[in-house]
Amino acid sequence: MYKVIIGLEVHCELKTNSKNFSSAKNTYTNMPNVNVMPVDLGLPGILPVVNKEACKKALKTAMALNCETPDEIIFDRKNYYYPDLPKGYQITQVTKPFGRNGSVSFLVNGEEKTVLIHQLHLEEDTASLEHCSNYSLIDYNRSGIPLMEIVTEPCIYSADEAVRFLETLRNIFLYCEVSEAKSDKGQMRCDVNISLMKDTDTEFGTKVEMKNINAFTSVKAAIEYEIKRQSEILDKGEKVIQETRRIDEDGKTYSMREKVDAVDYKYYIEPNLAPVKLTDEIKNKVKSEIPELEYSRIKRYIDLGISVSDAETIARDKNISNYFDELIKNTNDLNTATNWLTIIILGSLNKLNISINELFITPTMLANLIEKVSNKELSSQLAKNILYEAMEKNIDPMEIIKKSNIKQISNEDELISIIKNIFDECPEQVNEYLNGNGKVANFLVGKVMQKTNKQANPGTSLKLIKEELERMK
Amino acid sequence: MVNKEMLEKYAEKLMFRMSDEEYVTLENEFDIILKQMELIGNINGISDVEPMIFPFVTYDASLREDVDKEPLTVDEVLSNTKHQVRDQVKVPKVVE
Amino acid sequence: MEYKKMLIDDLRESIDTNSVSSEDLFKEANKLAHEYQSDINPFVTIIDKYSCRAKEKNILTGIPYALKDNFSTSGILTTASSNILKNYVPVYDATVYKKLKNSGAVLVGKNTLDELAMGGTGTTCHTGVVKNPWNTSRLIGGSSAGGAASVALGIVPFAIGSDTGDSVRKPAAFGGIVGFKPTYGRISRYGLFAFASSLDHVALFSRSVKDAAIVTNVLKGQDDLDMTSLKDDGKDYVATLNNDVKGKKLFYIKEACNLEAYDNPSDMLVNTIENFNKVIENCKNIGITVEEVSIDVSILNALYPSYMTISCAEATSNNSNLTGIQFGNRIDGDTYEDIMFNTRTNGFSELIKRRFVIGSYVLQKENQEKLFLNACRVRRMIVEKMHELFKTYDGMIMPASGGIAPKFGERSDTLSNEYLILENHLVIGNFGGFPSITIPSGFIDNMPVAVNITGDIFKDDLVLNIANKIEGTMNYKGQIVGDKNV
Repeated sequence: MYKVIIGLEVHCELKTNSKNFSSAKNTYTNMPNVNVMPVDLGLPGILPVVNKEACKKALKTAMALNCETPDEIIFDRKNYYYPDLPKGYQITQVTKPFGRNGSVSFLVNGEEKTVLIHQLHLEEDTASLEHCSNYSLIDYNRSGIPLMEIVTEPCIYSADEAVRFLETLRNIFLYCEVSEAKSDKGQMRCDVNISLMKDTDTEFGTKVEMKNINAFTSVKAAIEYEIKRQSEILDKGEKVIQETRRIDEDGKTYSMREKVDAVDYKYYIEPNLAPVKLTDEIKNKVKSEIPELEYSRIKRYIDLGISVSDAETIARDKNISNYFDELIKNTNDLNTATNWLTIIILGSLNKLNISINELFITPTMLANLIEKVSNKELSSQLAKNILYEAMEKNIDPMEIIKKSNIKQISNEDELISIIKNIFDECPEQVNEYLNGNGKVANFLVGKVMQKTNKQANPGTSLKLIKEELERMK
Repeated sequence: MVNKEMLEKYAEKLMFRMSDEEYVTLENEFDIILKQMELIGNINGISDVEPMIFPFVTYDASLREDVDKEPLTVDEVLSNTKHQVRDQVKVPKVVE
Repeated sequence: MEYKKMLIDDLRESIDTNSVSSEDLFKEANKLAHEYQSDINPFVTIIDKYSCRAKEKNILTGIPYALKDNFSTSGILTTASSNILKNYVPVYDATVYKKLKNSGAVLVGKNTLDELAMGGTGTTCHTGVVKNPWNTSRLIGGSSAGGAASVALGIVPFAIGSDTGDSVRKPAAFGGIVGFKPTYGRISRYGLFAFASSLDHVALFSRSVKDAAIVTNVLKGQDDLDMTSLKDDGKDYVATLNNDVKGKKLFYIKEACNLEAYDNPSDMLVNTIENFNKVIENCKNIGITVEEVSIDVSILNALYPSYMTISCAEATSNNSNLTGIQFGNRIDGDTYEDIMFNTRTNGFSELIKRRFVIGSYVLQKENQEKLFLNACRVRRMIVEKMHELFKTYDGMIMPASGGIAPKFGERSDTLSNEYLILENHLVIGNFGGFPSITIPSGFIDNMPVAVNITGDIFKDDLVLNIANKIEGTMNYKGQIVGDKNV
């Protein structure tokens, strides 16, 4: 067995109207070269100008990841030649990245795990290359789109941890509304560095880099494949080669190139971007716009007594969690609230293919309905039926109740007279009970419900049926 | 100090070749500038000085508001290259 | 008055009183441009079609001018005098060009420069050398060589250039005209092909300090496309040109201007200092105090190597876009690397390649601290020294050069181990972004010489004011080639 050490470099395209250093539109389109300004083409004489919103979003994310933030905004140039890099350098951040020394915590199988963030910086995406049979084509639409890179410390020890980290990170992006973070669109992609070492080793093993993996499932597959591959090499007493590997569709990795000598990118400060002060005032304002994040909410729900899995389900999406928070503000029945939200509401959202913000039923409406159940004014089954009808017809459940004059019959005298009628109609079942088959009571409750159009309180009915039958024994 | 072999490698990384005579000139230039820079390293107190990148810093610059503007037309984007296919710039196949 | 002797005010008056049309002026300029082109080579492109579409009329409406061929002009060939861009036609306008176009100023041509503005001789242009019109066996200096020549010849009353080390202020001196570089960021650099971004300034040639002020008034102001551009100071530089300068204080650097600092001064140096001392006398006559100040020679000697280090480093990065992929003179190859190699190998002259290798070397990880960053430290040392001196003084006055324009072959852009403070001090203006102006101050051997005045950042108005007053003590205002060399 070997100890696995994983570090991740995550790239995330920020959601802005315009590009990072030009005013060309930041959007995806199939039409090539329609969102291009002179800056994105690297034409002679161009000057970059930094997008305020991109900075704000990078800073916000850095703060959400508990990073130290710099006193001013400056950028650096990373110099290299490649056909997708029109300026011959990429504008990025080395000297003063938006974030350093951060951390993010989450649960892996119920246990808390903390991943340390080495740094977070803002940079620009490259143009995209389309590879044809014997030539390649360059489309500059993507050139200059704001890209945020997050580099972790090598402190992740399994594929599960890596995937949970990525999910947590994506949810932070979504909670902070900095990116749509869709991995199928390449808006979130990551490089994985992985090395294996023996428990007794004091130094990390040889690092293998896997580049540009989009789907989280592929990350998991690639890591698991690499662990197996590298373990086999080490078992044989051979050495792992330092190299960059790519991943194919079934999760196997293939060698792309061996690392010969590290490229010297000749970083230096971008002189065209005048420094801008990041005052406490700006920082505080951006910080105040960060909502309570997923992990904090999960912990809060668990503290309330909600199960880990329900807490995770609810907190996964900010809007659902907000809905839930609003719901439990208006009802004391936490159990019903949790069950109804995670089962009925989320199920229906899926079926209707809408987001919770599009749901007609507000948390207050739902809370009112739950209250009817808690007060025993409605049976749980009846209330659920009302809820489904309300969601389908987009009306307030209370309206349904009012219109069809539904109320729960809890008056014992009224119920007893109904029950006696049913005893007359079902002498066989009464006899069965008297002969010792207690289960028959439930059948009789069903009858009561039928007769009362489901308005009888099932609990009270059962209690009264049992009392009456016992008396007859 | 530098030699021709090193200089050839540097030129290669900058994506050009130089003529043999030019390497001689360049070696001489390196001799001069490296000697001069060595003297600079001896200037009293230089290591305590923070390197200056911008001529001055006013902190008056403003970041750009995030508003998109009219881009170049596709014709403009491609107007300076005759190597184009399907509105894109064509290069020999890029092998990663 | 003859067109070529007219200053902007004269031209304005002639147009406004209908004694001449703007198109007539353009035709005259165009004729002169063609007339001098074969001998002097001031232009890469001469515009033959009159175009004046003023969006807002101002003092420059209808006035002919020339633009260095490293400003992006949409639809007009822009080569930076390099083979790699010999067919490049921009699709966007530099901010200065746009402002001049909107003013209705009339473009006469695109001026020749040292390739990619990286040189000081005017001899490295892809279309051939630019000669000094005062004496064609001498160079005019660079990199804004064609602009200096066209203003000195009277083809245009003003020309826009760029100044990274002294690229306007030195050729202005060799051409007997005014060269002004305002505070860094005063004029937007958007569309100026970058040489060394932290040192690059838009600068201009004219034949009087007033014309320099007039043109700067139109060009200055903040530009959303240049983050380093300054908020407009709201000042009218012409209005303050004649302010009293009595009591103003200037200094010069002893180590460069005092003959005692030289072991074996040449006749040229002696004559240059003598000319300079005459200007000092003139200053004193109008109430300006001039004092001698001493600056550590080791820092002064470090100016040039530091400039080389910083400018080459920035240049190698700035010109990494010249690969022939999406624009430029692509030379084919089997792979993209081959294309880049062939394009750059054929597109750059050997001087440029040497500069790029030096620039790349000083930025390498293992060298950056000792080379690039030490140069940046020298930069701060001299700039801070200047800021300290500007607390006491309103400006620095110096000879613009150690002598007259050299003959071809006398000086090249190959690095030399001579320390020539008097040839290299103008770079201080670029290091600190200081406003700096060169004005003609006389002749040596029938060739023009000049002095330079540099002031504190943001005090463009004061520098122009002092220069204007000093210009008034001499007889060289408005001079063109062929005027009596006295």
